[in-house]
Amino acid sequence: MRFNSKTLGAATVAALLTSGAAFAGSHSDVCNTPSALGDLGNFEGEVITIAGSMEGKDEEMLTNTISCFEKATGAVVKYSGSRDFAALIVADLRSNNAPNIAIFPQPGLAGDMAKEGHLVPLGDATASWMADNYGAGQSWVDLGTYANADGKKDMYGFAFKMDLKSLVWFSPEQFEDNGYEIPSTMEDLIALSDQMVADGNTPWCIGVESGNATGWTATDWMEDIMLRTTSPENYDRWVSNDLPFNSPEVINAMDVYGQFSRNDAYVAGGASSVATTFFGDAPKGLFSSPASCMMHRQASFIPAFFPKKGEEVANGEADFFYFPPFAAQDLGNPVLGAGTLWTMTKDSPATRAFFEFMKEPAAHEAWMSQGTFLTAHKGADLNAYATPALRKQGEILSNATTFRFDASDLMPGAIGAGAFWSEMTAFANGQDSKTTADNIQAAWDAIK
Amino acid sequence: MISRSLRHVVLALIVFIWVVPFVALVTTSLRSETASKTSGFWKAFTPTELGHRFSTHDGDNQDAFVVMTGNIFERLNQGSESFPVTGDVKSIFFKGRVPDPDNPGETILLRKLVPPNEPMEVRDGEFVFDEFGNFTWTFPEASAPQPKNLDVFIDQDPVFGADAFVEVLFQDKNVPNALISSFIVTIPATIIPITIAAFAAYAFAWMSFPGRDWLFVIVVSLMVVPTQLAFLPVLQGFSGIASWATQLNAWLTDCELNDTCQVASKSFAGLWITHTAFGLPLAIYLLRNYIVGLPKELLQSARIDGANHLQIFTKIIVPLSVPALASFSIFQFLWVWNDLIVALYIGPNNAEDLVFPIRLQKQLGTFKDQLHLLNASAVISMIVPVIVFLSMQRYFIRGLLAGSVKGG
Repeated sequence: MRFNSKTLGAATVAALLTSGAAFAGSHSDVCNTPSALGDLGNFEGEVITIAGSMEGKDEEMLTNTISCFEKATGAVVKYSGSRDFAALIVADLRSNNAPNIAIFPQPGLAGDMAKEGHLVPLGDATASWMADNYGAGQSWVDLGTYANADGKKDMYGFAFKMDLKSLVWFSPEQFEDNGYEIPSTMEDLIALSDQMVADGNTPWCIGVESGNATGWTATDWMEDIMLRTTSPENYDRWVSNDLPFNSPEVINAMDVYGQFSRNDAYVAGGASSVATTFFGDAPKGLFSSPASCMMHRQASFIPAFFPKKGEEVANGEADFFYFPPFAAQDLGNPVLGAGTLWTMTKDSPATRAFFEFMKEPAAHEAWMSQGTFLTAHKGADLNAYATPALRKQGEILSNATTFRFDASDLMPGAIGAGAFWSEMTAFANGQDSKTTADNIQAAWDAIK
Repeated sequence: MISRSLRHVVLALIVFIWVVPFVALVTTSLRSETASKTSGFWKAFTPTELGHRFSTHDGDNQDAFVVMTGNIFERLNQGSESFPVTGDVKSIFFKGRVPDPDNPGETILLRKLVPPNEPMEVRDGEFVFDEFGNFTWTFPEASAPQPKNLDVFIDQDPVFGADAFVEVLFQDKNVPNALISSFIVTIPATIIPITIAAFAAYAFAWMSFPGRDWLFVIVVSLMVVPTQLAFLPVLQGFSGIASWATQLNAWLTDCELNDTCQVASKSFAGLWITHTAFGLPLAIYLLRNYIVGLPKELLQSARIDGANHLQIFTKIIVPLSVPALASFSIFQFLWVWNDLIVALYIGPNNAEDLVFPIRLQKQLGTFKDQLHLLNASAVISMIVPVIVFLSMQRYFIRGLLAGSVKGG
């Protein structure tokens, strides 16, 4: 046994040095974007408060980005992030403690708050700006448009920071060692999974545990498969429940997902581990020693959860391919995505200036240069992306023949952030697809 | 005596159950990141087989060679001075396609653990290693292969270091700020209720006024009101107070000139008030029961000597009630120090004012699976209550007994 006091001293010095360097370096470079920031006005000393759920690396990148706004206008922006955002923001809004801006990860809750009258409309000018300047603009506007108590529809949510969901992550080195090829159709992907099983490898790491949001990973899987087994029109009807949850198309998609997730040979740790594996721990199987799985289907943000916090993507230890469509279905290249919605919860001139700031390409580029940030802003310079991997994700976005939003985000909160999650967790625990679909439909009927 | 030794066994068992998590926290915080992730804390004290991944050489600017020699431990330890890996190399996990002996021309996937001194083929060269980590990589002709990452299993010697503590305390100001904030919240939130409660308890015990017993019953019954139930009205109240204070501020000072009139509704003061309000019923109940048990003769003779209520309280009651006061203040201190939910809803939410439990919760997001860092923070947050408890525990035990035994 050794207790190393010499290392203690060295580490102290190293820690102090690196922290000093971080303070000096992090802010100044970020705001140095290809596009220049326009004039936003002067709000010297005014305070804007932002509440959201981003923590850790995301929070750091967010504060770096808003520092550009602070520098340009003199305003002071205070961000407070908590994993309990969804509970805290409701209490804050109902008790007149609203921050200026609330960042909703789920449109469902934002819609509920708009209905209670806690959100300030962003105005038609912003809506038409977004329709013109975002790729697939109208669908982003729709994502942030909700009805207020009187049923009048307005745009409340400004989509900023998008995620691409249809990605399969893998370790190129593992693929090389085992002699595997990247599949271009779903049939190939299933054949590859079977080959991995035959070789004695485990193809997939799947984890759906996420505290009180457990189950959302499974809903993503299912939505991706919906887009690959039935038409986009059916997908839209599913979101609005014109196509009932227990209709054959939906149950079929759930069964296809079950072929992956409920197959003991396919999933690292066996199918029973899916419900109890933290979604952020699941991809670590790709990098464990020895690797416990070969592939992981997850959105573009997941490298932040890799053991080296995403450095793997830059140095080639990790890569991704597009979650391919069934060749037999002829549905083109569908892509599933999502975005966080920035809403105005307390009006002020400086807050309005902040929303103008988010329209600037420079604001997008500032975050693009830091990583794990995708944007649909057509004016933003693609060269600003931090890595070739992010640019490749941008290409997947632009090559998409169909783009659809995360269905669970679009469904009413009680379904998309409730029954759908919990029932998919029950499905992971062995409940059959028919019962699962019936239960979700029953929950939906109950809120109609 | 059987009953006595049985009691000792049960006691020892309880102590064991309570101490294990603490030992786990401390041990994990002193281990390296890899070790804490890949094996349980109970394996920290003996040589343990752990998997590592090392690369054969650095990628850039290498000359062609026929034989390359190196050492696995040097490769693993390069670039980091803390937690050096030492021990015996057990095996290397080999995987790759090799010619199929049954079907000439085909290949099969081979996955096996290669023991020391057994050659294996890596990038068309012959790779041999021994248990001390020395390896040779021999090629048929001079070549410059890409570095190869290999999974190696090492029977590793135990190694400890305080790196995690250094990192959480000095990397940024989050943990020191959280410590300060927690003290700012906890000390007043302990002193204020104990002061009020002592006065109230004296009044309930020794002053007679109409409705005294009913009032006491009401105060005691308030103990059952759950904190969570009151968040929304309490928050609404604070935001109302804050908006009055903002107007008052604008009226009294010239804050409008530089836009600093806004008084925050979520503040340390809010936490003090909330913790005081929710701590009072129990405090009054405990102290009243103690004070009412003090000898009546003492107070009567003081009264005869001409002391008024305030003098009796400060000169007689308070010195005699030290055990009860101390035991309640430990209760309140521990409760406030460890409180997450009240601070989350009512407390200030800017990054530098977060109390320790919120900081710990946020570190779950920041450090994610870096158990050694999370545990180091947890140990730091535990040390304060442990010190408070150990330094006041003799009062604590007396305080618990006090009131139960007359004259005790």
